[in-house]
Amino acid sequence: MLLIHRSPRAANAVRTVSPGGELFVASVVICMILASFGDAVDPALFGEAGLEFALFDLGGEFSVLAMRHWHLLQLLLAGGILAAGIAALRVGAPAAFKILRPAPRRTIDKVPI
Amino acid sequence: MELEFFSAAFLSALFAIVLIDLVLAGDNALIIGLVARNLPKGQQRKVIFWGTFGAIAVRAAMAILVVYILNVPGFMLAGGIALVWIARKLLTPDPDAAAQHAAQAPAVSFAAALRTIVVADAIMGVDNVLAIGGAASGSIVLIVLGLAISVPIIVWGSHLVITLVDRYPSVILLGGAVLAWTGYSMVVREPLLAPWFEGHAATRLVIAILVFSISLAPWYSARLSARMKPLVVLLPALLIWMLAFEVAASHWKLQVDYLLANESGEYLLEGLRWQGWLPPAAAFLWLHEQFAQRSRSARA
Repeated sequence: MLLIHRSPRAANAVRTVSPGGELFVASVVICMILASFGDAVDPALFGEAGLEFALFDLGGEFSVLAMRHWHLLQLLLAGGILAAGIAALRVGAPAAFKILRPAPRRTIDKVPI
Repeated sequence: MELEFFSAAFLSALFAIVLIDLVLAGDNALIIGLVARNLPKGQQRKVIFWGTFGAIAVRAAMAILVVYILNVPGFMLAGGIALVWIARKLLTPDPDAAAQHAAQAPAVSFAAALRTIVVADAIMGVDNVLAIGGAASGSIVLIVLGLAISVPIIVWGSHLVITLVDRYPSVILLGGAVLAWTGYSMVVREPLLAPWFEGHAATRLVIAILVFSISLAPWYSARLSARMKPLVVLLPALLIWMLAFEVAASHWKLQVDYLLANESGEYLLEGLRWQGWLPPAAAFLWLHEQFAQRSRSARA
């Protein structure tokens, strides 16, 4: 710990970290918390709640349950994929919204309907 | 417990150990260099050799000790809490850290230099050995591997580590997150708490969020505005408040579930649980604001 504080950038890592690196670590932390959430849910509850609840809750606890026994490397991989997905969304989403935005009324490209 | 070679669990634990070694193991090289610097040229090479030997011997002895200590009930919990503090310390910006350690005192003789190196390693290597012990999950092979990886870092790797963390500061953040994750797994693996966790599975999530919110606080507080900074204290405090009611309910057989309450005392307890945190939180915010105003007026 003492050694890394010899580097001004490393000693102030919370401020000098690159946006990409920060997004990756934040995604890994999210995956770690999700894995602990899977650890906190008793799978027997789903048996009691029935199939209807399990299907309704597919995006929530049911899917997170799969992460309960994940190891660090799997969490890092999932964090990397999540970070890549968020980065792609950050680039792609404005382009998608730009297409949806209507052209100005009197522009030449405006198709009269 | 021995993990199967090259299984996901084994490789994950090995990766955690490498990362922990990277962020925590390099201190000895610095100490040895600083102590040797104060000695005459002729003695420097001897001090570096014996200092490195002593540092490795101390670390090996501590690693063996940690394997046995973590099997004693209660120590896994204590180790987990210590790792949370270590992760927090790792992420806290501290530009003066290098100037505050035992090796600053000039060593005048070979014996004094060696003593300084060994004592400093015994004090500063505790975090590294504890973290390796926690990440290894009791596997002797992994602890030996962790030691084998930390030795080259102690002897030759300091420059490499500095270059790596200087180029990629996110390694420090990842190291902090891995330390927090190891701390959480040590807390939930504590044999004394295992029966309690069986009956209160949901509290594992509360503990995970508590661990991450305390250990990663220097990171996310750097991104918060001045008005939101009290959240760094309020969020963990609220989780501890809720957790305390769960512990009290199971320890003193209290009814804290409002659906099952049927006496006025139980309703009162329920009210205290859900709304009782508001007055202390308001008092904390008021005090925080008073201190902030006082420091603003002192600066003006």
